[in-house]
Amino acid sequence: MLSRTHLLVVLCLVSSLCAQDLEGIQIHGFATQGFLFTSNNNYLSMRSSQGSLQWTDGGVSLVDSLSDHLRVGIQLHMYQLGDLGGPNIQVDWASGDYRVNDHLGFRAGKVKTVTGLFNDSQDVDAVYLWTLLPQSMYPIDNKSFLLSHLGGEVYGDLRLGGRRGDMQYRAFAGQANLDSTGGYVKQLADLGLVFTNPPGGRTYGGDLRWVAPWNAFTMGSSARVQAVDGTAPAGRLHVPPVVITSHYVQFNHKKYYAAVEYRREPINPTIIIGQTVIHSPADQHVWYVMGSYDISKRLQLGSYYSHYINAAADSSLPNNYSKDWDLSGRWNFNDYFYAKLEGHFLHGTALGYYTSTNPGGLKPRSNMLAARIGFSF
Amino acid sequence: MIIVANPEMRVSVITPEDLRAIYTGARSQLPDGSHVLPVTLKGGPAHEVFLMNYVKETPDQFRTAWRKAVFTGQGAMPRAFESEAALLQFVASTPGALGYVSRVVPGDKVKPLSVLPPPH
Repeated sequence: MLSRTHLLVVLCLVSSLCAQDLEGIQIHGFATQGFLFTSNNNYLSMRSSQGSLQWTDGGVSLVDSLSDHLRVGIQLHMYQLGDLGGPNIQVDWASGDYRVNDHLGFRAGKVKTVTGLFNDSQDVDAVYLWTLLPQSMYPIDNKSFLLSHLGGEVYGDLRLGGRRGDMQYRAFAGQANLDSTGGYVKQLADLGLVFTNPPGGRTYGGDLRWVAPWNAFTMGSSARVQAVDGTAPAGRLHVPPVVITSHYVQFNHKKYYAAVEYRREPINPTIIIGQTVIHSPADQHVWYVMGSYDISKRLQLGSYYSHYINAAADSSLPNNYSKDWDLSGRWNFNDYFYAKLEGHFLHGTALGYYTSTNPGGLKPRSNMLAARIGFSF
Repeated sequence: MIIVANPEMRVSVITPEDLRAIYTGARSQLPDGSHVLPVTLKGGPAHEVFLMNYVKETPDQFRTAWRKAVFTGQGAMPRAFESEAALLQFVASTPGALGYVSRVVPGDKVKPLSVLPPPH
């Protein structure tokens, strides 16, 4: 708890600076508090069926432009989500960024991983309407693992000339480890595989997107290859390289926003516990469609539908699919403070549920109310 | 609305698309290859008009987009000034600086840029 208190103190102190430039160093931060209530089942490791406030998030970033071409920065982050996360402060990203010109730049260090529209910004609650992003694609209980990698990235923007817009590219390679306090490690622990060092593996991939003139329209594709291996006292985990592909379209014009994204993730993990070998292949097909409208400067409303199936199994069974209808609202009190309220109609139990917090089993349907207040500077 | 630049800037004209790309962080160079450092006003009518006309975003959308860039490690927020006088002083003294004001008066040591429509 000491570390969390320290982070909150730092946040309060730096917020008084209101994102000032201190001799070129920019300091920004965010903090949120959430609430979750579900009609059935306990979601995301919270005791949500009783109503849970165990959902706190905060981060602070420091950025310094050392020259016209070189920028360095770091972002520290902590979160508590039910049984996940905890008082330890994590490094979201910490990198040096050398931009040779608009067509070519390099980042190295712990770098955020681009996959689809929201992967690299899913930890920054302040920048989007949704209290929970579509969990089929951006699972909040595993965001620390998916968010960044240790390695490098090359990026750039290529003008197509005239009114043909721009092509933006990013390619990355490095190492990504599971969050030792995150969802995957907890699920493995629920099975009896408790890791002292988090499993991980090499990752590489990239993103190519076309941005139309005036940025109103974006379309692109991402690919990510990720392997995971780890050894625990009771056994081991082996996930051969998984190829994750995403395709997306986004429209953003004046008060209107719309996006659709599709992802496929065929995975074939092997879990060995003692003499027991468990193969659990899955072919995950995921998509969502979302839209929102700015009613006023302060009020934003939106909705999405998120869909997940495991095509390698009997997808008529609730534990092999997850469907989520969402209705969202956001109120901005001022430039810094906001509140969000969201209703979900969940069908299927493939995502977001843990054996340890649902010892009595799962019901196939649950309704959910999610709320979040936050500030960002 | 007048787009102003440091007097050492080689270009005298700029397209709306270049302005938007620079202020959204997609580009940090002018077409001639020179580095550009965009700055903004913290608020007010000139700030809102500039964002709506050239960046095609509301002040909220502009702030959110830059917060996203900052928190994902992809950018640093453009420096913002309380007054046009402070912005003009910074632009006049900082190579590569680019900004906007509602008006300039003789004696302001900045270079006004013409905004040309993009080629069709």
